[in-house]
Amino acid sequence: MPNDPSPNPEQPPSGIPLFRPRATTVFRVVLLGIVLCIASTGYAVLQYYYSPYWNGIGYRRSQPVMFSHRHHAGELHIDCRYCHATVETSAFAGMPSTSTCLTCHSQIFTDTPMLRPVVLSSTRAEPLHWTRVTALPDHVYFNHSIHIAKGVGCTTCHGQVGDMPLMAKAEPMSMRWCISCHRDPAPNLRPASEIFAATWTPPSDQVERGRALERALHIDTTHLTNCSTCHH
Amino acid sequence: MSSLAQPADGTDRPHRSEPVTTVGRATDEFPPEASVWPADLSRRDFLQVMAASIALAELSGCNRPPSKTIVPYVTAPERALADGPVYYATAMSWEGYGRGLLARSNSGRPTKLDGNPAHPESLGATDAITQAAVLSLYDPDRSKTPRYHGAPIDWAEFQEQWLTEHARLQANHGAGFAVLTEPTTSPTVTRMIHRLLDRFPSARWYQHTPLARYDRDGRQDDYDFTRADVILAIEADFLLQHPASLRYTRAFSGRRRIENGRVNANRLYVIEAGPTLTGSMADHRLPASPHHARRLLAAIENALDHRPIGNDLSAVEQRTVEALAADLQAKAPNVVCVAGVECDDDIRAWADAINVRLHADGVTWHSLPSVRSDPDRRCAGDLAAAVRAIHDGQIRTLIIAGCNPAYTAPADLQFATALEKVPLRIHLGTHVDETAVACDWHIPESHFLECWSDVRAYDGTASIIQPLISPLYASRSLEELLSFLNEPPGRDGYDLVRETWQANRPSADFEQTWNGWLNTGLVDGTQNSRSKPSPPARAVGLQTSTSAPAVTVLIRPDPTIRDGRWANNGWLQELPKQNSQMVWDNAMYVSLAFAERENLTNGDEVELRRGSDRLRAPAWIAPGLAADCVVIHLGYGRTRAGRVGDNRGFDAYRFRRSHRLWSDDLDHVAPAHGHGWLVSTQTHFTMEGRDIVRTASAADPAHTAGLRPRTEPSLYPDWSYPSYRWAMLIDLGTCIGCKACVLACQAENNIPVVGKDQVARGREMHWIRVDRYFEGDPQNPQVLHQPVPCMQCETAPCELVCPVAATVHSSEGLNDMVYNRCVGTRYCSNNCPYKVRRFNFLNFQPPKDSPLYLQKNPDVTVRARGVMEKCTYCVQRIDAGRITAEKANRRVRDGEIRTACQDACPAEAIVFGDLSDPQSLVSRRKREPTEYALLEELNTRPRTTYLARLRNQNPALVGHEVPVRPNDTTNHAARGPVRSYLAAPDA
Repeated sequence: MPNDPSPNPEQPPSGIPLFRPRATTVFRVVLLGIVLCIASTGYAVLQYYYSPYWNGIGYRRSQPVMFSHRHHAGELHIDCRYCHATVETSAFAGMPSTSTCLTCHSQIFTDTPMLRPVVLSSTRAEPLHWTRVTALPDHVYFNHSIHIAKGVGCTTCHGQVGDMPLMAKAEPMSMRWCISCHRDPAPNLRPASEIFAATWTPPSDQVERGRALERALHIDTTHLTNCSTCHH
Repeated sequence: MSSLAQPADGTDRPHRSEPVTTVGRATDEFPPEASVWPADLSRRDFLQVMAASIALAELSGCNRPPSKTIVPYVTAPERALADGPVYYATAMSWEGYGRGLLARSNSGRPTKLDGNPAHPESLGATDAITQAAVLSLYDPDRSKTPRYHGAPIDWAEFQEQWLTEHARLQANHGAGFAVLTEPTTSPTVTRMIHRLLDRFPSARWYQHTPLARYDRDGRQDDYDFTRADVILAIEADFLLQHPASLRYTRAFSGRRRIENGRVNANRLYVIEAGPTLTGSMADHRLPASPHHARRLLAAIENALDHRPIGNDLSAVEQRTVEALAADLQAKAPNVVCVAGVECDDDIRAWADAINVRLHADGVTWHSLPSVRSDPDRRCAGDLAAAVRAIHDGQIRTLIIAGCNPAYTAPADLQFATALEKVPLRIHLGTHVDETAVACDWHIPESHFLECWSDVRAYDGTASIIQPLISPLYASRSLEELLSFLNEPPGRDGYDLVRETWQANRPSADFEQTWNGWLNTGLVDGTQNSRSKPSPPARAVGLQTSTSAPAVTVLIRPDPTIRDGRWANNGWLQELPKQNSQMVWDNAMYVSLAFAERENLTNGDEVELRRGSDRLRAPAWIAPGLAADCVVIHLGYGRTRAGRVGDNRGFDAYRFRRSHRLWSDDLDHVAPAHGHGWLVSTQTHFTMEGRDIVRTASAADPAHTAGLRPRTEPSLYPDWSYPSYRWAMLIDLGTCIGCKACVLACQAENNIPVVGKDQVARGREMHWIRVDRYFEGDPQNPQVLHQPVPCMQCETAPCELVCPVAATVHSSEGLNDMVYNRCVGTRYCSNNCPYKVRRFNFLNFQPPKDSPLYLQKNPDVTVRARGVMEKCTYCVQRIDAGRITAEKANRRVRDGEIRTACQDACPAEAIVFGDLSDPQSLVSRRKREPTEYALLEELNTRPRTTYLARLRNQNPALVGHEVPVRPNDTTNHAARGPVRSYLAAPDA
């Protein structure tokens, strides 16, 4: 009854408080609880998002052939470029054709069960279907050759390949991770002789060496954080 | 407010939904994914769909990205190691004449065609059709399998049938056997046809083209525009519609390029009925029907003879004719008179006589031997001869290879009826087209990017056409079919082409020679030398009659889809026509005078009558069209082109007569009751008093006032550019408005086709558009072209308003567009004064399983629905060029990075480069005195600037014409429909 100015006759009688003294404290605790709850949920989500699990770090995907980088690159010291032949010249590092495998394996371990898919691929002329270990979204344009030319070694992004029996993703490959190096590449630069080392640990004076390399290689970081450097 | 007077950017143009009569409106134009939200969706359905979507989105959000596979080769082929693009030199045929190409292949897919700089008829440039040719390779409507009476069959079945027929023909020496092809310049095709005629001596070969013949008496005219100071063009669109148009454009524009503030400009006079691209470049243009043109030519001859020029001309015409004659005489012999190939023979003979009289023969006017097979002695005649032979019962087995006469034959030949009389009809074509369905057998024809062939250019330069990909479908090339018909099972195209050239150029080291030809894209020593034309007899005088017909209809090839062969190419359909800016249709082009008299607006139907023939179609008002003329374009009204080209526009062939191919006199033209739905990308043609396109006088370009860009103080902070500063310059003095840049950009940047309906809503996606403005007298306006890409402003209005930083300033001055960040608010587009941003209102990209996807450039993101996009100076090419340079520890060299539009431009009007290098070409060109910035008063400080349009008017005529000051819009204030055409009534 909007036009009735008289007070509500059902008002509680005076003298009995609506809230007890404790109510304020309870309210504050609950309020704090809600805030903490939201914050911790957010923190948990972020932690999950940055976690190796979410980013697939260390996760070994099943492959048609149980190929061991530790054996080939780490122990036999076969150069990365023997199989990933276009890493210095083009955006894509290159995947070995079956015939590349057979340069050695037409002679050795030809009839082992582990090599059977390779032999079948060759005899049936059907390519091997490897599972990607590191994949970038389609709107990211990454070029291997320029990173190699400017002193970024294989293991900086792909991990200690020489220690990996089965290949696993070593870094998150997130934009945050990419751009941290684009902002300051010095901690990750190494001399040309070390680029293709299957395992590499930075020396103790890496930052100074990196700075020197940055100058020597004419690395201009101003354009490296432009959006169009990676997205076009 | 008339819908014609909407803003030129057209972002919010209303959708015209007038009833559609003649022009059928295709309802199945787009895949179902592209349809707009259904109108009958109830609230309940909507909530259901939304709930399901959210549930699905959450499900997918819980998973890590799906694992992808890498599939390497079993044995890597040669060059597979190069992951980047590989370029092959090849060639394509433009009406039979060759144009040298560099075709880009990404992972084995041809993705882009550019001109071969070493080829004398391409000079590294292309036209719009060449750019679009790669799309036709992936056309989903291509014929994929041989057919018998429409039913798919195996090649083996056809082979069996042909073996029987072959035996029969061999027994009777080919009596009743005929082959109908297009005229060709291919030495291998010609050889195969001759061999077929050798085997079957009684067989006949006919040639048919609905388009022009470029030879006269076995010779072709050739012009040297580099030496021509004065050019008179009569119905000659030599800048766009000619086999040598790229070379001519380079030469013509080269004489209009301002260098160090000076230019030795040529002067172009044009006499033509309908507005053409060449006419739009004219310094003085006289619109005249073919009948009136004869009077003008007679007057010119009189003026050259210092005789009275006659009094049947208007005052402007008299003055122009006198000034032209004086100009020709003063500049002889560096003058040239060009009569178009569609002109009547006496007009062409008149032009020859004038050239001889002015001693231009051997200077600017030359003769080349004919390279196309039109005058081949073994050819039995044209389509009319074939039809006569059919009626006489002389053709019992007809092969129709590579042409579509059931659609392109003039109406009076009644080819379809004649064809039914032939007992065995075999068709080779890329599509199951109008002719294919009228034939018993249909064989799919290979695209030029998937078969071996050869071709010769207008000047005779031969190129080997090498394939970039194996045939996608069970198709055969013309050579292979002819070889099969001759000696089944036939031979491979590669062997046939090699055999031709091995016989032609026997050498011990043929393999090396051959590889050299493939490498350079041309066969050395095949270019014909120009000779002085044999002087024609003095023109006996043009036949002029005092009684002009009521109206003359001019029949011309469509500027984009030509005779209809490109009708199923979405890029060409959506390319605004060079003169009308109309898309997806042809129209009846009528003059302003006619439209005013009959109170017509664009789209109102008009009927042409000639005896009992009727042609009814929507009208389009073409300022500059001669008052008593109507222009119609071929190529539309197709019924079997494919999903893109079917049932668009009207079929002008149905109104064409074989003895009046290019112009016809009519009894009557009148408005009909009805309205068609025509769509144009630019509906507002006046500059509203703003200096959008500026003009400079060629006589004194340096002192054309007010052209230097002003820099006003800005509240924006200044940027610092430590390294490169990319910039572009567009020279409106040399730009001819051919729009090759538009399609080059479309091919390079994965720009989708949106369809007529979406263009009507202003949603076309071209990143670079070519605006066109009219200036001066509406009856004969000066046409101004202006390519407009993103200006890459220093103080860019778009960057400030993006709420998610999806468009940001780069350290090199580009306005980077980050598709994956864009949420589609469209604030940037609203704030852009140049209206160069394009928004994906719907998912315009083809479905993922479409062959069209194979054309996509892998270096450019394919944008999804809801994303803004725009020109970024081909930033993927900048990145690639910088990576190449940085790997070699050097800076990017000037000219090393070229944008796609720059690559395509035949006029070299677009220059791109680094502004931080004062010696770079773009820096030097930007120092020319005619440089200006578009809408510079807004202080956006664009990186893309223009050089003013050059005008080289005859001093004797300046001041006599209708005043053409850009600030003066009073002369645009015409009445009725004209007003809405040339000026905004509300403005």
